[in-house]
Amino acid sequence: MEEKKNLSQKEISRRSFLKGAGIASVGAVIATTASVDIKADTKNDSDVIGKNGISCEFDVNGKKYAQKVPPRTTLAELLREDLNLTGTKVVCDRGACGACTVIVDGKSVCSCMTLAIDSAGKKIETIEGLANGDELHPLQEAFVNHDALQCGFCTPGMVMSCKNLLDHNAQPTLPEVRKAVSGNLCRCGTYPHVFKAVMDVSGKKGE
Amino acid sequence: MNSFEYAMPKRTADVFRALESSDSIIKAGGIDVLDLIKEGIAHPQRLVNINSIDELKYIEGNQTTGVKIGPGTTLAELASSEVLSGSYRALAQAAGSTATPQIRNSATLGGSLCQRPRCWYFRNKDYHCTRKGGFTCFAVNGENENHAIFENDFGCVMVHPSTTAVALIALGAKLTIASAKSSREILVEDFFVTPRENMHRENILEQGEIITAIHLPPAAKNMVSYYYKQKAKQSFDWPIAEVAVSMQLDGKKCQNPRVALGAAAPVPMRSKEAESALNNQEVTIDIAASVGKEAMKKATPLSQNKYKVHIFQAVIKRTVCWASDIDPFA
Amino acid sequence: MAKEVKLHIGVENDLEEIKVTIPDDSPKPWDGKDKLKFVGGKTPRLDGKEKVTGNAKYTFDMKLSGTLHAKFFRLPCPSAVVTKIDTSAAEKAPGVKGIVLVQETLPLTVRYADQELLAIAAETAHQVDEALKLVKVEYEKRPFVVDLAGAQKSDAPEVFQGKFERDKEVGQIEVDEDNAGQRRGNVRAPQDYTKGGTKEEIEQFIEKSEFSVSATYQTQVQTHSALETHGVVANWEGDHLTVWASTQGTFSVLGELAQVLKIPQTNVRVITDYMGGGFGAKFGAGPFGIAAAKLAKKTGRPVKLMFSRREEHVSGGNRPSSMQTLKIATNKSGKLEALSLVSRGSAGISTGAGTSAPAKGIYECPKIYTQDADVFTNAGPSKAFRAPGHPQGIFALEQSIDDLAYKIGMDPLEFRKINTMNHDVRQKEYQIGAEKFAWHKRNPKVNADKGPIKTGMGMANSVWYYFYGVGYQATIKVNGDGSVELLNGTQDIGTGSRTAMAVVAAEELGLKPHDIVVRIGDTKLGFGPPSGGSQTTAGITPAVRDAAYLAKNKMLEIAATHLNATAQELDIRDGVIFVTSDPTRKLSWKKVASKIPGGTFSVMGERKKDHIDIKGAPAVHFLGRNFYTIGGMQFAEVEVDTETGVIKVKRILAIHDCGRPINRLTLQSQLNGGIIQGVSYALFEQRVIDRNHGLQVNPNLEQYKIAGSMDIPEIETIVLDTNRGNSSTGAQGIGEPATAPVAAAIANAVYHAIGVRIRDLPMTPAKVLEALHS
Repeated sequence: MEEKKNLSQKEISRRSFLKGAGIASVGAVIATTASVDIKADTKNDSDVIGKNGISCEFDVNGKKYAQKVPPRTTLAELLREDLNLTGTKVVCDRGACGACTVIVDGKSVCSCMTLAIDSAGKKIETIEGLANGDELHPLQEAFVNHDALQCGFCTPGMVMSCKNLLDHNAQPTLPEVRKAVSGNLCRCGTYPHVFKAVMDVSGKKGE
Repeated sequence: MNSFEYAMPKRTADVFRALESSDSIIKAGGIDVLDLIKEGIAHPQRLVNINSIDELKYIEGNQTTGVKIGPGTTLAELASSEVLSGSYRALAQAAGSTATPQIRNSATLGGSLCQRPRCWYFRNKDYHCTRKGGFTCFAVNGENENHAIFENDFGCVMVHPSTTAVALIALGAKLTIASAKSSREILVEDFFVTPRENMHRENILEQGEIITAIHLPPAAKNMVSYYYKQKAKQSFDWPIAEVAVSMQLDGKKCQNPRVALGAAAPVPMRSKEAESALNNQEVTIDIAASVGKEAMKKATPLSQNKYKVHIFQAVIKRTVCWASDIDPFA
Repeated sequence: MAKEVKLHIGVENDLEEIKVTIPDDSPKPWDGKDKLKFVGGKTPRLDGKEKVTGNAKYTFDMKLSGTLHAKFFRLPCPSAVVTKIDTSAAEKAPGVKGIVLVQETLPLTVRYADQELLAIAAETAHQVDEALKLVKVEYEKRPFVVDLAGAQKSDAPEVFQGKFERDKEVGQIEVDEDNAGQRRGNVRAPQDYTKGGTKEEIEQFIEKSEFSVSATYQTQVQTHSALETHGVVANWEGDHLTVWASTQGTFSVLGELAQVLKIPQTNVRVITDYMGGGFGAKFGAGPFGIAAAKLAKKTGRPVKLMFSRREEHVSGGNRPSSMQTLKIATNKSGKLEALSLVSRGSAGISTGAGTSAPAKGIYECPKIYTQDADVFTNAGPSKAFRAPGHPQGIFALEQSIDDLAYKIGMDPLEFRKINTMNHDVRQKEYQIGAEKFAWHKRNPKVNADKGPIKTGMGMANSVWYYFYGVGYQATIKVNGDGSVELLNGTQDIGTGSRTAMAVVAAEELGLKPHDIVVRIGDTKLGFGPPSGGSQTTAGITPAVRDAAYLAKNKMLEIAATHLNATAQELDIRDGVIFVTSDPTRKLSWKKVASKIPGGTFSVMGERKKDHIDIKGAPAVHFLGRNFYTIGGMQFAEVEVDTETGVIKVKRILAIHDCGRPINRLTLQSQLNGGIIQGVSYALFEQRVIDRNHGLQVNPNLEQYKIAGSMDIPEIETIVLDTNRGNSSTGAQGIGEPATAPVAAAIANAVYHAIGVRIRDLPMTPAKVLEALHS
């Protein structure tokens, strides 16, 4: 078994040696032949949206926006670039940090891993929609009072995850709060104050 | 991301037509596919979004009849499903332990089964590894702490990233796979493809095929199940070892056990060694520990991942205990 | 003119009275008897509302009309000589408006994988991506080395074949360029320090000693991973450059831009309204700031260049690795006799990997020998990282001290106590810590628990230094409507400096912190401190208080004429100016403001040298000066799962001194953050570079593991009330001391739990299991 393993591995690396490429795709740096085959928007197929996209209606924080979006546009890009709602942050751009968290149809999602086109017609809530004019949402108020933020870059996503929790569970336990923000990374290490803020708000709700 | 067209079929039947265009990829929740496109690993000309198909989102049935699950069901829905709270709880536990709350709200069961490797060489566009048509598995002699301890002697040593598959295999689940012309059923454990069989794919799906249903067989008498994932971090992290167990328990006597391991091999795998060590035994901590040891007897760790063997032994022991309602630390 | 004042100084309630001479335009420093209303209290951030509503605009959010997007082209090869760069196809790509090379002349040496070669600006980010694919580069690969041990071998490939070229990053320790001549391969000339003997004498002494320990420790490379990546928006108006930067040093960015672009400092303005974390990595303009400024000049358009997450890991900075061999000897009664530390560390292609400061600065030891040397590797440059050198150095030192205590059968806390007798704060902290943590309940035996999961308790000392800069200028403007503006060019990197400044001004002016409009983060607003060395509060608050003192005096003078009193007879409290002897004779702040001659006035306070040196603790000498050592310590309780190797940190008790605390709410946040970052460093974080090809394989936030909400312990913190009378506010710093001892305290608790030492960071399950099974 052991010997066979060695053989097969050796065989593979020998072939790679003959190809003369340690990391074969370094060649990709030298030149790319990726001729992007830009087809005309395939409108003949009624189900298929072309690369240039279509005009959609978005409901963000109760406000309607008409916007043309190419399919590849993420919800985060739509919010930040097209609608100028820059409260939603993009940090890892891969769904690992939660900075881009928004609520779509009552569920928290990473807007960096959600296509804008999929959110058309749905109810999108972002950090900008929480306060009522000058009056902060109780959760936002608790974040400020408990100093549940430092540099503030994770804060919009963190607040949205907590809001999503409280929307579904008005009086969470501490472990539930911890779990609810387990997809939100804070590099300043502000979690203990986030826990306090959420517990504080839920306490008020219970009164 | 590169530019792509977007198909949004509303019915399953429409998916197949949309898939006929070359360079098209199916997208469900999108977590894996968008990652691949962002990393420059996949360059599809068309995405076929099956998340828009409502008829693929359901959980039907019960323990007596068996349960049928639509592949569009999200992991969050599985995690909180009442139907999955009894004998099938391993699946709910697995789904609930995956990734982050946000991702569980988007990711689907079908998508979870069809993920591409999460190996850090595969996900880096600068490494043209065996799975991408190259000739080297860079992990074999490279940074392989997270890699396979079984089935790692042929060309790719990644571990399959599907957590739900581990639970489904332990539960003896089947899949319905359909194409425009036909459909077939297959056990989840036969769905995955080892590198020895084919280095360039992780499962048996052909272009033009999709998973249309996941079936949990009726729960056998006194069937219990449990899933546990050991991670380095308790917050979002990929598993070091994951184990799902199902069995019939008559008192403490175990029958027909199924033990599945994840993060162990390039496919989610059954451990026949563990199962035979457990079958017909009165479950105790010692028996559970011996099951863990048996399961690891044939492990062939790489240069940096011997520790996984120890961890699997412990996690198998504990999962068997928890499934049997025994405190492994007593 | 100067005046003499009486002060009550000391730690907690141990106060002594001293006399200090201070300038006439400075207020009497706050001392141990002052009852203050806001200073030392808990004030929510002034900008909290902006941050929780998403209204706070970071550099990442900046949008000037007509902005071009720019990105770097990077070569994914750890060592190469670039002989040709062909951008002709990229220049013609849709949307491309400009390309600048990082180095104009070829050949160009690439020393780490993903080093930047050129930047492209185009109308959209997608267009830049497409254009980057069209760049053609010809290069010759060279051998490389990425690991610390390998780089020290005599046959290792040399990272710098010629002279060491210093990375352009303000804030790094100055490098002696001639040092390159004494370099051996990749190992730079070692920096030696001796006390009480020569190296040979000290090492021989330890060798012969009856009670000594000797061990080698290793620490990993940690990346800063601030959530907002490095980046700028650059915009020219004529020959004036304005740069919005995600920086922790507005003035260091300004200085570097002016220097590199060869333009007067008067023509550069740097703005940092909000920034998403720095931790030491963001002092300079960097290649990105310079490239953006050049592209903006070339195209006549604003240019935005922000790092991707991958670039942030690979090129944004990191904490250097280390490999430290430490030998310590004690006598039978537990007094330290000699210490020797030989440290090697790699800052990649940069320098600054020394770890010896804690070995020199914590314990009273008559004989000390330390040697630090940087080792070059083909990896991205390090940057200052929260307490540079200290988490590494303390990890080694405090485990060795623990080792030695066990060896002579002394309680590790007691052992530390008798070897730090000359530090007044530390002595108090031991006492408080032992009591709060119930140290006496700790089983003196190690590995005492039955069952697979074992608990342990440990502690470690921290050390930092009192740093501050001078010349900072705080301006206070009082307007006719009573509104107050406080201006300074420094930035708030999340520590709450904006709010601390308001708290100090409000205290002096008898107003509320939220009455003060603080404008910071703009070099036009007066010279201010960088957020580094834990010196922002210590640096800026005395200037703020001095300005407020002058503004108050001015207001009192104006009020005096209307109250038929002298200014000396008046005081301000809660927005009211009144006659001290007859508080019914009063005017509101607003009313007095309405009588300001000319309608408004502004005054400036300047940060001067401290009135007196801080005593009570030893000073250390480095960078050519003496620095008072700030004492702190942390206690940790852990659970070690001996079957899986997983360590859980259950709780941390942190006891620290930061002089006078200004705002205990944000102070608490900083402490929490330092501790959590320390836990993350101790258990999870590690840059993994593929040894065979030299690329980082985890340049993301899923495989580069950072502690999350489920990984953090219960945290309790105690901050001493320390009054030194040194400056008008007496503030010192906390950001760095809070993170320095965490990994060591956890490691000592792990040893207590399982009886085996983990001398290699991070303490992963793999390492714990290996230690247990070997």
